[in-house]
Amino acid sequence: MTPLVVALNIALCFAGFAALALSLDRHHRDALAGRVPAGRALPMRAAGWALLALSLATAIAWEGWNFGPVQWIGALTGAGLLVVLVLSYRPVWLRPAALLALPLGLALLPAILLA
Amino acid sequence: MRQGFRQSMAWLHAWSGLLVGWVLFAVFVTGTASFYRSEISQWMRPELVATETDPGRAAERGAAYLQRQMPDAMGWFIELPTPEKPAIAVMWWKSMEGPFHQALLDPETGEPTSARATKGGDFLYRFHYELSMPPMLGRWIVGACTLVMLVALVSGIVTHRRIFADFFTFRRDRSTQRGWLDAHNVAGVLGLPFHLMIAYTGLTLLATLYMPWGVRTAYKGDEIRYFVEAGLMPDLRWAAGKPGTLTPLGPVVAASVARGGKAPEGLSVWNPGDANATVVAIFEEPHGLSHHHPQIAFDGQTGAVLGQAGAVGAATGTGTVMAGLHMGHFAGPALRVLFFLCGLMGAATVATGLVLWAVARAPKGAAPAGFGLRLVRALNLGTIAGLPAGVAAYFLANRLLPVGLSERASWEIGAFFAIWGLVALVGALRPGPRAWSQALGLVGALFLSVPPVAALTTGLNLPGGALRFLGFDLMMLALGLGFVVAARKAAARVGAPLRRPARDLTGEEALRA
Repeated sequence: MTPLVVALNIALCFAGFAALALSLDRHHRDALAGRVPAGRALPMRAAGWALLALSLATAIAWEGWNFGPVQWIGALTGAGLLVVLVLSYRPVWLRPAALLALPLGLALLPAILLA
Repeated sequence: MRQGFRQSMAWLHAWSGLLVGWVLFAVFVTGTASFYRSEISQWMRPELVATETDPGRAAERGAAYLQRQMPDAMGWFIELPTPEKPAIAVMWWKSMEGPFHQALLDPETGEPTSARATKGGDFLYRFHYELSMPPMLGRWIVGACTLVMLVALVSGIVTHRRIFADFFTFRRDRSTQRGWLDAHNVAGVLGLPFHLMIAYTGLTLLATLYMPWGVRTAYKGDEIRYFVEAGLMPDLRWAAGKPGTLTPLGPVVAASVARGGKAPEGLSVWNPGDANATVVAIFEEPHGLSHHHPQIAFDGQTGAVLGQAGAVGAATGTGTVMAGLHMGHFAGPALRVLFFLCGLMGAATVATGLVLWAVARAPKGAAPAGFGLRLVRALNLGTIAGLPAGVAAYFLANRLLPVGLSERASWEIGAFFAIWGLVALVGALRPGPRAWSQALGLVGALFLSVPPVAALTTGLNLPGGALRFLGFDLMMLALGLGFVVAARKAAARVGAPLRRPARDLTGEEALRA
């Protein structure tokens, strides 16, 4: 069960970090062209932080207060590295990848709940 | 006079990082490999295959062997076989100063196994905190470097002005120096929780070694008492000076199972030939972050229970949780991959920092590099390419050296240092634009050759199936490909004109930029 929870944590962190990165002009320009549209940065940042928080919540819910935060921090590092690599080598993939990671991560939920 | 807090921090970060960087790189690489210590040991002893063994009988066979080796020992240790390590590992010693003898026994016969002599993953693990030096010296050096690493981490955080704005920034397409700086920042910042945790917990793990004065003052010459009272070990008895007969260990294991719920991981026997002999059953860590092994002590004559250890107080518990976090024994396969990744990022942070130091101080135009810079460059190449070459050579030697060679385990370690030294020496004697790509290419070739060499030497008649070590082989291929890609990148740099910013930054400006 734990590998599935780790995968869910990474998927949520990846989507969250991607939202945070795309709320910055520099990465928005590379990944989507142009500056971040006015009024878009704040909701994207809120969504990004909310996804990171959700990842922490799922980690704690399944792994407890001792293992959960450790696992979440590991997932943060792994997902952060993925976002940096995508931004550096294939920036236009970032948004599709994040939009894909979210449903894929959530698709793991039934497997986790049934396990 | 240096002005400004951030500027002094940048200076501190650059020089503290340089001072300990080479040692830290070696500590990071071998420590990261140690997350897979038992897998490495299994690969290096391919002759051992999982068997079912009764733990009580294994303990008695170990004791019988030790009785022949050193009946009047100060201590014996018998590690019971597990599916991961299907052999009885025994250790015996006459005094705490050593030497500590060890052997691997076949659980069926109680005689030394036919497995090749090797230190396995334990060599890399011990190197991680002792650097193959006399143990205390090595631990002090690693501890001092770790302390400086904490200084470098904190000063690095202060120096890095835009942690959030540059969180995801890795500009490969700008100047060389900018690329290295971004790589250093990304590896450092993304892995920061791990880096801080691993440095701090590494120090607390050996806290009673580095700061013995509290315990020494409170316990006045009886420091063992501290460990007993902290719940870390059971009360041991001094030798009576009268000979005694050791109780059979089978019933002791049975009593441990009855009291501890499962078979112990191992048994230590103190003063086995004495009337006050004590047998301590050591159990595996209970599920949790904490790193401590519950223990039950038995009278070595009668087999009666003398006491137990395992319930620790809040302060000791904090320490054992820190130790547990450092070692990551609790981590399942997925989390262990993340720990491994974080360790690699730690090594990458150190390596990019070292390279950045040299890149930022490269002389402009045709001016010759000074001695300091040439020294740093040589040490950089010698460590960053040399050490991984040594690790690959260690694995290759395990398969290529004859199984019956005397002092075989030492020859493997010799191969590790020989190849490391060779790469460092050639790099120092023949510096030049192609040195990096050649050295990295060699490391890649060495790692890539590990699976075929293993297949040709042991793979065809590997007990337990030819695919038993698939994970290890894939890891070697991944590492090899990684180094080959790095070598190609380094070679591409040589041809292309150096892309530099319009105005060269000085080292400290570069750090702050």
